[in-house]
Parts: sequence; structure tokens; C-alpha cells
Amino acid sequence: MSLRVLNPNAEVLNKSAALHMNINAAKGLQDVLKTNLGPKGTIKMLVGGAGDIKLTKDGNTLLKEMQIQNPTAIMIARTAVAQDDISGDGTTSTVIFIGELMKQSERYIDEGMHPRVLVDGFEIAKKATLQFLEKFKTPVVIGDDPDREILKMLARTTLRTKLYEKLADQLTDIVVNALLCIRKPGEPIDLFMVEIMHMRHKFDVDTRLVEGLVLDHGSRHPDMKRQAENCYILTCNVSLEYEKSEINAGFFYSSAEQREAMVAAERRSVDERVKRIIELKNKVCSGNDSNFVVINQKGIDPPSLDLLAREGIIALRRAKRRNMERLVLACGGEAVNSVDDLTPDCLGWAGLVYEHVLGEDKYTFVEQVKNPHSCTILIKGPNDHTIAQIKDAVRDGLRAVKNTIEDEAVVLAENFTKINVQLTIIGEGAGAFEVAARQYLVNEVKKTVQGRAQLGVEAFADALLVIPKILAENSGLDTQDVIIALTGEHDRGNVVGLNQHTGEPTDPQMEGIFDNYSVKRQIINSAPVIASQLLLVDEVIRAGRNMRKPT
Amino acid sequence: MKEIVTLQVGGFANFVGSHFWNFQDELLGLAADPHSDQAFRNQHINMDVLYRSGQTQRGNVSYTPRLVSVDFQGSLGSMSSRGTLYSESSPAESDVLTWAGNVSTYASEPCKKNLFLQRLYEEEQENGVHDGDGFSQREIHDTDVIESLENGVEYWTDFSKVHYHPQSLYELSGLWMDAQKFDNYGIGRDVFLGSLRGEEIGERLRFFVEECDHVQGFQFIVDDSGGFSALAADFLENIADEYTNTPVLLYSVRGPGSHVNPRSRKQTVSRDLHDAVSFAKLSSFCKLIVPIGLPFLSTSKAATYLNIKDEKPYHCSAVYAATLHTISLPFRMEQFGPTAASCDISGSMNVNELVQMLAAQAWENIVAIMDVAMPAPSLTGTQANQTLLGSLQPLTPDISEDVEDFQAVESVTAHGTFSSGLCRASVAEVNDMVEEAYKQATSRPMFCHLSMAQCPLPIPLPFPSIFGNLVGQQGELLGSPITGFSSKGSLDVHSIPMAARLRSSSAVLPYLENRLGKLRRYGVERGAPGSQLLRSWGFGQDEVEDMGETLSKKVAALKPDSLVSSDSD
Repeated sequence: MSLRVLNPNAEVLNKSAALHMNINAAKGLQDVLKTNLGPKGTIKMLVGGAGDIKLTKDGNTLLKEMQIQNPTAIMIARTAVAQDDISGDGTTSTVIFIGELMKQSERYIDEGMHPRVLVDGFEIAKKATLQFLEKFKTPVVIGDDPDREILKMLARTTLRTKLYEKLADQLTDIVVNALLCIRKPGEPIDLFMVEIMHMRHKFDVDTRLVEGLVLDHGSRHPDMKRQAENCYILTCNVSLEYEKSEINAGFFYSSAEQREAMVAAERRSVDERVKRIIELKNKVCSGNDSNFVVINQKGIDPPSLDLLAREGIIALRRAKRRNMERLVLACGGEAVNSVDDLTPDCLGWAGLVYEHVLGEDKYTFVEQVKNPHSCTILIKGPNDHTIAQIKDAVRDGLRAVKNTIEDEAVVLAENFTKINVQLTIIGEGAGAFEVAARQYLVNEVKKTVQGRAQLGVEAFADALLVIPKILAENSGLDTQDVIIALTGEHDRGNVVGLNQHTGEPTDPQMEGIFDNYSVKRQIINSAPVIASQLLLVDEVIRAGRNMRKPT
Repeated sequence: MKEIVTLQVGGFANFVGSHFWNFQDELLGLAADPHSDQAFRNQHINMDVLYRSGQTQRGNVSYTPRLVSVDFQGSLGSMSSRGTLYSESSPAESDVLTWAGNVSTYASEPCKKNLFLQRLYEEEQENGVHDGDGFSQREIHDTDVIESLENGVEYWTDFSKVHYHPQSLYELSGLWMDAQKFDNYGIGRDVFLGSLRGEEIGERLRFFVEECDHVQGFQFIVDDSGGFSALAADFLENIADEYTNTPVLLYSVRGPGSHVNPRSRKQTVSRDLHDAVSFAKLSSFCKLIVPIGLPFLSTSKAATYLNIKDEKPYHCSAVYAATLHTISLPFRMEQFGPTAASCDISGSMNVNELVQMLAAQAWENIVAIMDVAMPAPSLTGTQANQTLLGSLQPLTPDISEDVEDFQAVESVTAHGTFSSGLCRASVAEVNDMVEEAYKQATSRPMFCHLSMAQCPLPIPLPFPSIFGNLVGQQGELLGSPITGFSSKGSLDVHSIPMAARLRSSSAVLPYLENRLGKLRRYGVERGAPGSQLLRSWGFGQDEVEDMGETLSKKVAALKPDSLVSSDSD
């Protein structure tokens, strides 16, 4: 091999070894993630070398926590994580689907088929599947007043795969209400306008939606009120601390008196700004029982805090940049960048502002606001890993609802719930889309393809079935029986999914199981691309790496 | 009181930081110990500048560094990323509350604590139970601890004796890379902005800044030998945006590993371009940058009295950390008002004053050189390399020696200096000595600020054994070597006098020209071998040319001849 001549240290894997290395890596990653899938999946507890606990049922989080070394596995993981970045869900499905495509290809390649032919078949099948998806999707009319029930079903489908049922249902309402709160018709949804705050306190079921804002800091003055009603809220980005002048630093004063004079002058200009705020307070609060709260993105130093406290003003410093935007959306008014712009019109309003202290952590609640367009999901839990897991689930739930509103369409889901008479059992379902798509490929598309690429289409079609198969496997059902029952039912012309509780085919629409259109499309799009690339690898060369020890 | 928030980004930066905080922890311990030396009990150093007081959920008082540290996932070894102070060890901790289905547990092999950490843990347990057998025979001996550290430091946490706040240690997850692959600017480019990492790190910083009444500055240590410099550049840009008027004092440190000769031309190009780009980017977002890290510290003049193994980050980082400690002393000296003088300390200043003094001079040079004398000689020394100023040797690479620069500005800090024998010199004595030295010198800087303290640098137990056999127990320099020791550590040397200097001088010119040359050769010129690489790092041609422009302006400003021409204008 010519490379040996160029670099005698290079390690070279030949064609079939390289291919099998890739296939094994893909299968290995699939094995790790597949037990995650669906509401009957397994939650994973990761204990680090130092005893840190992480809890996750989310493929994305799990991948990030794993210290993956194999280059093929890293490539797959990157695709899957990118999937999450784009659409907020589907990481596990992507990894599983890539793994399955590789597994199906292995069969054909071992029989002597050239990968190129398979890849061509994948391409045809992918296009056909995407077209089929267009037909299969169910449009959702969003309009000015979206159908709350559809959104709830979506959020529930996602949340029930991450959290136990009671909590998932509680969060379903929270997530949908949060989204409808920040949504403005005709504008793209900015999920950052939902603040997700957590407190290590009480239990997971104490998680709630706060209409208004929760800030993770409090006032820094002992005399400021801890609770106030009827508050004017001033949102500002004005420095209220003494700033050293840029040019005249300490060493260039000719005398101590001169220095003192400079300091005093600087101080005066800060005080001036504080006085302007106090003037505004007196203007709007005199003669009524309302209060005044200043929330500043910049710092407020102790002398300024003193002045404000003396006037009965509550002041918070160093607010998050995003909270400037959120506060205005929640309370009204506008954010002020200079004391010259202070007018009563830029003030927001909140019925109640109070502080909650937990150890050294302080929280400020701004509640009872009028007509808010920003809100806070306050997650509670007894320990950090519980909180972290709920937080992940909430993020996914929000993304799912957002996708629906933006797609204006959903796909009958691979998951669905079966409401039992006595107790609600999450029957994870379905693979409704996958079953339908597979049958479509095998029955319709394959016939139109010339030659051996047919086999590629078939491999792709079989790989699609992996989702219902694994769902069945995770809930302890026999995969063969289930697939036969599903395809049979489908061929009789029904849209079917898998009732994971009974193993019987069911109509997912009846059960209220929907998936995001955009998530599905993204999976169908990206998985075959990666699988194809991995299949077409001829040689793996490891050379030229600088083997120095990491520090 | 004016607070400093410390930021440490990258592997070697955290090694340096770990030593730095060990010194602080040792000082805190010695100040509270009635048996310790007078100099330690009256330090006149305000630790609140670097530390924060807090309260755990159980109501215990905590005192932890005001620090945000960023490193790879898994770089914390056996230390939990949330520290141990705030952890609640309720038995229900491992119950899964959020899932009714199956649970599978993946436990990685627990990281074994080394002898030093085991002993720390045992001591803590003993302190927790005040009664009982507090006098139980200590089973782990000091010598064993030191030996185990000498032979087996892998993570910076292996030799750290400090408790950190749960918000302090941030691990980068989902990179799937080790330090070997994470070795250039391009690869670290999207790390800060991707996956909300920047937001999370920014939140950590905000947590510490919010509780400060008045931040005097940020002390930012970055390991700029790899992808972390890109992360740091994005972080710095964020800081400049959010905390506009707060000065950043940036130390860009390099470990010994980053100077290994590259094996191929491709690697040379990549390395050189990284150096140039990293410097250009980092220096554009801070008020003062101090490059630190010699390729061969062990044979440099700075290590005359030291016995360092270049391949050990544990060794090299100790020297840099000691110097950083000395430099940071003036920021936290207690102030007695403008007129009252103290015989223990003098020369207090804040970060902004230092930055203004060094960087805002005629040619606005923001690159400072760091020099150290470790240990500092006593005032009686007469030979050239034994005077306080003569013994200061650079830790900044690629600089020229013996430059006559009448525009230079410098800030010298000395602490724990001996006047003669083992008698600590008073502030006035050091002052007189330095003044005298400058009067007789042939070339002297335009301005020199001098800070002094009586309290020497304490050597904590986990400090590496790097002192040569000319260093005595209190860091005094011995006339003749003690036989029998090749290198001495914390058991033989308890404290040392230190002197360090930051100077802004044209001596830094070769460092700048080197970066500029690399950028021009590999990036800017037509058909440059690295232009493809730079594009893959995400830099357009314009951006590269801009960087070159900025660098060459910095170089031109420092050139002596250009000074003349600007005077005549």
C-alpha cells in the first residue's frame, strides 16, 4: 500500500475490516441507547468517578455524559446531538435508526453486495419516505386560538417518555400554558422567554408555573422590604456604582486632597442618578399605597442601596440580561438604559413581589402581573439530579409544543397511551408512521426501482421497523408477534400503532399520541446520510497523530 | 473592600489555580493558628477580596474562593464537581423519584483518592467528631504523602486542599475529545457558544459578581495552548460586553507539554497559526495580558535555586502560581488611609490602578512581562544576581534581555524579604534599597511602583519538592549546599521570601514579532500554507488580515524608531 511507503507508522485497516469496525460501533451505540426508548424504557443512573450522580432518560444527555472514544461512534453521536439542537428531540431514535441501517446492510454486504448499491437504494427510499411523510402528517390549525388538546397530547407524548405519569401529566399543563403565554400570533416563538428556574426544596410535584418571573437573587440591603404589594417595576440597565475614571488612576494625583475631590465628584454623579430614580418613585407612588421595585442589569453599590432603601424602594442588581427582556414582557413598561429616559410610562407593574430564602440562595418572585408574555417554570426537587432530569424533560416538552405550532402539523405517533379503566398505564406504542412507511416502501416503491437497488430500499424499509420493535422489546413483548400483527393490520388498510400494554395493534389517533413532524423529518433525513457515509468507507488510516501526553 | 473574581480556563490554568488556592488556604490556616510566626498572624492581607462567605443549606458557614473554573469533563479526578461542603448526604440520595419504570445504573470505577486526599478526608472526619480519639495515631506519614504526590499527580485536584463552592467547577460535557485532539484554536471555536455552555458559564460568573458590592477586577487564567483559548476569547468577549468597566487581568499560561517539537510540517503550521491567532484574539478582549510559560523552565535563569522537572505540570505550575500570588498581593492589602504608614505593608493598589499604570502609557502596550525571584535574596546581597532587582528573571517566553528602555513602567512586589540573616526587612529598608539600586543603575524605567509585605509565601504540604539545596528552611539562601538532599519540598522549606515584577517594556517586542511573523508567513501571504487551515477554523481572509494589522500596529508602537517619529509629529 502506497501509504505505508509514505508513513511507515500508519495503521491501516482494509476495506472489510473498516466496514465492520463502523458497523460494530453503530450497533454498540444502538445497544447502549435502545433501552431508553419509549415510556416503558429504562432510566439510566450514571455514577461518576467522584460519586456524582446523573439521572437521564434523554438520549441527548446520555450521549453527552458518555466519554465516547471510537471515531465512528463520535460521528454518529454528533449527528444525533445536532438533531437535538435543531428539533429538540429524537436523539435516541436517530442513533437507533443509524444502527439499524448498518445492521441491515451488514446482512447484504456479507452476501457480497457492494455498499454503493445499498446506498443508492437508501437514497431512493429516503426520498420516497419523506414524500410519504408529507401525506401521512396531520395538519394542525394553529390560528389565533390553537387547539389546546392537540398541544397537550404532544407535550404528554414527550413528557411521558421522560417522567413518571403523574408528574408528566402535571407538567403537560404547565408546559402548554407556558407556551401559550409567551406566544404572540404571527411572531416566531422565543423559548427563552420561558424562564426555567429551580429550587432544591420540597418535592418534584411542587413544580409549578409562575405567571411572572422568578429571579435567582434578592436585594442586598438589610432594610429593604422582603415583600411588597402593588409594585411599579423599573427595569433598567444603568450603573449605580462608583466607577473609577479611566484616565486618572491612583498614581497621577499630585495630592491626597485632589484624589479625594475626584472621588467625591465621581460619587456625586452616581448619587445624581439614584436621585432621578427616587424622583420618579415619588411621582408615581405619592398619595397611594403602591411600592417601587428597581431591577437593574448593572451593579448597585452599598451607598446607592442605602439611598434607595431609605425611600422604601426595593432594588436588585446584576439581573440576567435575558431577564431584562422577560421582565418587560411579563410586567409591561420598557427597559431603560439611561436615567434621562425615565418616565412613568416605562414602568411595569406587578401585584406582588416577595423574596424567598433557602440557605445562601435568595429568590425574588414577581407575580400577579397583568397580561404577561413571559413566565417561569419553577422546578422543585429534593436533590440536584432529580431537578436536572425534570429540567431536561421540560425543555423537551417545550420544544415539542413549539415545533407543532411552527410545523402546523403532527405525525401520528410512535408512542401512545392506553387509558385503562382502573389505572392509567402508559402503553408505549406504536411506530404507526414507521409501520405505514415500511409497508409503503415494500409494496409500492420497491417495484418502481430497477435492479439491485431494490435491496437497498428493502434494507431501509426493514430498518424503519426498528422503532416499533424496540418499543415492543422494552415493554417485554415478543417483537416478532408484534410486527406481524402490525403489518397485517396495516395491510387491511388501517393506520396502526402498537399498544404497548397489550401488544395489540391500536389506532394511535384515538389514543392521542402524536409526534412532531419536524423531528420525524429530521431523523429520516440525517440518519441515512451518516449510514451511507460510514458504509462507503474504504480504508481507515490512523497516522500522523502527535502522541504527546495530555496535561 | 473591593472584590476580585478569579476565572480559570483549561487544564494547565487549573493546575496553576490549584497551587494558588493552596497558598491562600495555607495563609488562612496560619493566620488563625496561635503558634505560627508573627508575620503570618499579622498579615494585613484581606482575604475577602478573593474569598466569599456563604452558608450551606444546613446552616453551616462556608468560606470559599470566588472562582469559576472550566475544564474537560473527567478532569476533576476524585473531586466532585459540586464540592463536598454543600453536599447533603441523605440516604435517599440515590432513589429515583422521577421514573416508575426500570432503572439501570452505570457506575464508573471510583477514582481512587491518593494518600494526600485520603489524609485530608480523615482529618476532616476527625474534626467533625470533636470528642473521641482525636489523637488517634495518624496512619499516613508526611513523607509518604509527598512521595505519592511526586510520583502520581494526574489531575489538578490531586494536590488541592481547598473546598470549592458548588458553582465554581464547570465541566465541559459532550466534547468527546481529550487534550490531544483539543489542541488548536479552530477546534475550540464553537465550544463556548454551542449547547448553551456559554450561557451556563456566564451564569456561574454572574452568581459570584452579583454578591460583590464593588468588583475591582477579574483575574483570568487561561491555558492558551489549545482549544481553550478560543473558549476563553468568547468568554472574554462576553465579559467585556456584560461588565464593561471592570478590568480583566489576563494571564495566558502554557504548560510544559505545549512546547514539544511538532512532528510534521502540518503540525508546525497549525501550532504556529494557533499561537498567532490565540494571542491576537485574547489580547483584544482584555486590559492587560501577561504571557507566562517558558519552554524549558528547569534550565531558565528563573529556576536558579529550583530543581524542576519540565515534564511535570505539577512542578511548573507551582512556580507560576507562586508568582501570581505575589503579584496579587497589592490588590488585597489592608488600607490605612492615605497618610498612615505601616511598617508591615505598603504599596496597596487595585487591579484597575495596575492596569492603568502598565497599559495606559505612551505606547499603550497591553502585553506585560512577568519576572520572579524565587526565593528572593536578602537585602545584604551585593553581587549583581543577588540583589533584589537583579535576581528577577522572566517567566514570559520570547523576550529580549538587556533592553534599554526609558519608557518602561514596572510594578515590583516583594514580600517576606530578609534584611540580613533571618531578620525580616521593614518596608522602609526595602524601599531605600530599591531606590538606591535604581539610582546607581545605568538604565532605569520611567516609573516603578513598589509594593511590600512582611508575610512570606508559606509552603503548603502538597507543594512539590522543587527547591534546590541552597534554600534554607525559611527560604534564605545558604552559602554552601547542604549535602544529602537533591531537592527539598514542603517538609524542609516552610516559607520563602518572594519578589515578582510586572513590566511593560519594549523587551516584549520579539514575542509580538514572532506572532506577527507566524501569522504573515502561514496565513496572510498569497498562497500561504495555512490559509486553508484558517478557513477551516472559520476565519475569513479579511478577519485574518485585520488580525495581522492589529498585531503589526502593536509592534510598530513599540519600535524605538517609531517613537522618535511620533515625537516629532
